[in-house]
Amino acid sequence: MRVATNSYTGSMLNQFNNLAYKQASLQSEVSTGLSVQAPSDDPGAMQNTLQYLTETATQKQYGSNIKTLQTRATSIDSVLQSLQTITSRAGEIATSGASGTSSQTDLGNYADEVNKLINQVVTAANTKDSASSQYLFGGTAATAAPFTTTTDANGNVTAVTYNGNSSVNQSEIGVNLTTSVDVPGVNTDGSGARGLITDQQSGADLINHLISLRDDLDSGDTTTISSTDSANLQLDENNVAYQVANNGVVQNQLTVAATFATNSTSNLNTMISDTSSANMVTTMVQLNQAQTAYQAALESSVKIMNLSLLNYLS
Amino acid sequence: MLGLFGTLNLASRSLQTQMTGVEVTGQNIANASTTGYSRQRVDITSSPDLTTSAGQEGTGADVTGIQQVVNSLLNNQIQSQGSTSGYWSAQQTALQSVEDGLDEYLNGSGSSSSTSSTSSSTSSTTDTGISSQLSAFFTDLQSVATSPTSVSARQTLIGDAQTLAASFNTINTKLNSTTDSLNASVSTGVASANKLLTDIASLNSEISSAEASGGNANDLTDAREQDLENLSQLTNITTGTDTNGSVNVTIGGQTLVSGNTVNDTLQTYDSGNGNLLVRTATGQTSLTLSGGSIQGTIDARDGTLATLKGSLNSLAGTLITQVNAVHSGGYSLTGTTGSNFFTGSDASTITVNPALVSDPTLIQASGSATAASDNSVALQMADLASTAQSTLNNQTFSDNYNSSVASFGTALGDANTQVTDQTKVATMLNTQRSSTSGVNIDEEMTNMLAYQRAYEASAQLVTTVNTMMGDTLSMKTA
Repeated sequence: MRVATNSYTGSMLNQFNNLAYKQASLQSEVSTGLSVQAPSDDPGAMQNTLQYLTETATQKQYGSNIKTLQTRATSIDSVLQSLQTITSRAGEIATSGASGTSSQTDLGNYADEVNKLINQVVTAANTKDSASSQYLFGGTAATAAPFTTTTDANGNVTAVTYNGNSSVNQSEIGVNLTTSVDVPGVNTDGSGARGLITDQQSGADLINHLISLRDDLDSGDTTTISSTDSANLQLDENNVAYQVANNGVVQNQLTVAATFATNSTSNLNTMISDTSSANMVTTMVQLNQAQTAYQAALESSVKIMNLSLLNYLS
Repeated sequence: MLGLFGTLNLASRSLQTQMTGVEVTGQNIANASTTGYSRQRVDITSSPDLTTSAGQEGTGADVTGIQQVVNSLLNNQIQSQGSTSGYWSAQQTALQSVEDGLDEYLNGSGSSSSTSSTSSSTSSTTDTGISSQLSAFFTDLQSVATSPTSVSARQTLIGDAQTLAASFNTINTKLNSTTDSLNASVSTGVASANKLLTDIASLNSEISSAEASGGNANDLTDAREQDLENLSQLTNITTGTDTNGSVNVTIGGQTLVSGNTVNDTLQTYDSGNGNLLVRTATGQTSLTLSGGSIQGTIDARDGTLATLKGSLNSLAGTLITQVNAVHSGGYSLTGTTGSNFFTGSDASTITVNPALVSDPTLIQASGSATAASDNSVALQMADLASTAQSTLNNQTFSDNYNSSVASFGTALGDANTQVTDQTKVATMLNTQRSSTSGVNIDEEMTNMLAYQRAYEASAQLVTTVNTMMGDTLSMKTA
C-alpha cells in the first residue's frame, strides 16, 4: 500500500494522543484508587455507588442515633438505680413503721427520712439528659421541669404537679425500625409507655405514696401503714423494677442495632469498593503497558521521521 | 525524417517536458504537508509520428495535462463521515460541559492500599454533588428527630439545607450558562456555514472559468473540497456536480448553492424558549438537519441537557412541596406553626426560609403545640428520604437523582464511544485517501531523479545535434 509522507505525522499524532490519554486515565485511577469518577465513566457503577453512599450515610446516622439513645438510656438507668434504692428503703421504713414496735419518736424520725426521700425522688424525676439538656421524664413536653412541688409552712412537700405529658418520642435505629428509650414521668391513660412516678397500669404513684407514708408516720397511724402504704410502695417498687428491666431490653436492642449498622456500613464499603474502586494490580500493569507503548511510539516515530530517500542522495 | 533541426526541436521540447515534470514534482513536495492537497502528476504522451519511407518515426513527447490524483468516492465518504463525526463531537463537547456543571464526581482516598491487593480501600470514597447533600439533609432531620430540642442539631440541619439549596441554584445557573453557550455555538456554526457556502459558490465560478479554457483547476478543486469537508462537519450536506465542474450544495432539502450562485443562506431563530434553531434566511424554511456539529449541539441542548434540567427542577420542586407540606403542620420550640421550610418552586429559586436561618428554634419538628420536644414531624420529614414520590416516577429523592445522573452519564458515555469510533473511521478514510492522493517524498524524489536524468539526456541530445550541425557546416568549409 502506498503511504503518503504526511500520513505518518497524522497517525503518529493520533497514537500519541491516544496513549497520552490512556496514561492520564490510568494515572488518575492509581492516584484516586477509583476506576469510576465521573458519571460518564460507568453510568451504572456511578448510580450504584451513589446509592451505596446514600445508604452508608443513612447507616452512619442510625449509628449516631443509637449513640445518642444509649447515652440517654444510661442516664435513665442511673436514675432508675437510685429510685430502686429509694423505693427499697421506703418499703423497709413502712415495714418497720407498721410493726408496732417503734415509738412515736422513731416514727417521727422515719417521717423525716421519708421527707428526704420525697425530695430525692423529685430531684431524680427532674433529671436532665446531659447531652441535650432535655428533661428525661417529661414525655414530649420536656422543655420545663416535669415535676413542681407544693410545700407546707415547714417546707415539706404536700403535693406534686406534673408538667409533662405521657407521650414518648420514637427514634429510627434501622430501616423501618424505631425504638424509644424515654419514660414519661406520669401516665394516667392506662396505655402507652408506663409512667416512672405515676402509672395507671401498674398502680404506681410513688411521690403521693411517700407523702401518705410520711403523713401516716407523723400521725402514728400504723394500721394504715400496714394495710395501705406498704402495699402501695410495693407497687412503686415493682414499677421501678419494670422500668429497669425495660431499659435493659432497650439497651440490648440498641446494642444489636449498633452492630447491625456497623456491619451494614462495612458491607456497603465493600460494595462501593467492588463497584467503583480500581483494581490496583491490573491498573498498574496497564499503566506500565501504556508507558512502554508510548515510549516505543516515540522512539519508532523519530526513527521513521529521520529516514527518507534524501538521506541517500548525494 | 526529422533531420537535424527536427531533432533539435524534439530535444528542445523534451527539455520543456522534463522541466514541467520537475516543476510539478516541486509543487507536490512543497505541498507535502498541506491539508487537503491532492498530489498532481504530469501526463506525458508521445508526439504524433512522422511517416517516412522507413516507416513511422517518433517525434518526441509533449505534456498533455497536469492531473490531480483523487478518489471521488473516498471524498464523498469523508464528507459523509465528517457530518457524523461533527455531530458526535459537538454532543461530546456540550455534554462534557454539562458534566462539569453537574459536579457529581466520586473522590477517592488515593493509592493508599497495597498494590498487592485486588482493590483499594474505599472507606473514604465520597461524592461531591447533590446526592451527598440530599442524604446529609435527611440524616440531619434524623438527628433533629433524635434530639428535638438540640439547637446545634437544628443549626446543622439549616446549614446543610442551605448547602443543598445553593447547589441546586448553582447547578441550575451552570446548566443555563451551558445552554447559552450552546446557543452561541449554533450561531457561530451557522455563520461559518454561510461563509463556506459563499466560498464554495465563488470557487465554483473560478473553477468553471478556469476549466472552460481547457485546463484543470487542480488547486481550486482542492480548496473547494476542503470547504465541502469543513461544511459537512457543520451540517449534513448533499452535493451534485454540474457538467461545468460546479458543485451544488443541498442542506436539509434546500439547495443553497447552485453553480456560482448562493440561492439562500442559513439563519438562526428563536423557537420560542430562547433556544436557537436553524432555517433558511430568505425562504424562512425551518430545517431539520440530520448531522453535523450544529445539529449535534441542538440535540445535546434540547435532549440530554433539557432532560437533566427538567429532572433537577422536578426534584427540587418536589422536595420543596413535600418538606413544606409536613413542616408547615408542625410546631416549633416556641410553639409557632404554619411556616414553610423551603421557599421557591424549582432548582433556580429554592432557598431555606430566612426566618429559620435566623432562628433554628423555629424549625417545626413537633407534632403538638404543647409538646415542644415532640419529634413526630421531624421524623415524618426524615422519612421522606425513603418515600417514593409520584412526581418523581415513583422513586425516592435519591433514587430519582441517581437515575438522572446515570441517564446523563449514559448519554455522555455514548457520545464518547461514538467520537472514538468516528475518529477511527476518519483515520481509516484519511489514510485511504492519503494512500491515493497524498504526497510521498520518496516517490517525488524518485520522479525528480527520473525527470532530471531525462533532462540531462535531452540536453546531451541538443549538444550532440549541435555538434552534428557544426560538423555539417564544417563540411562546406572544407
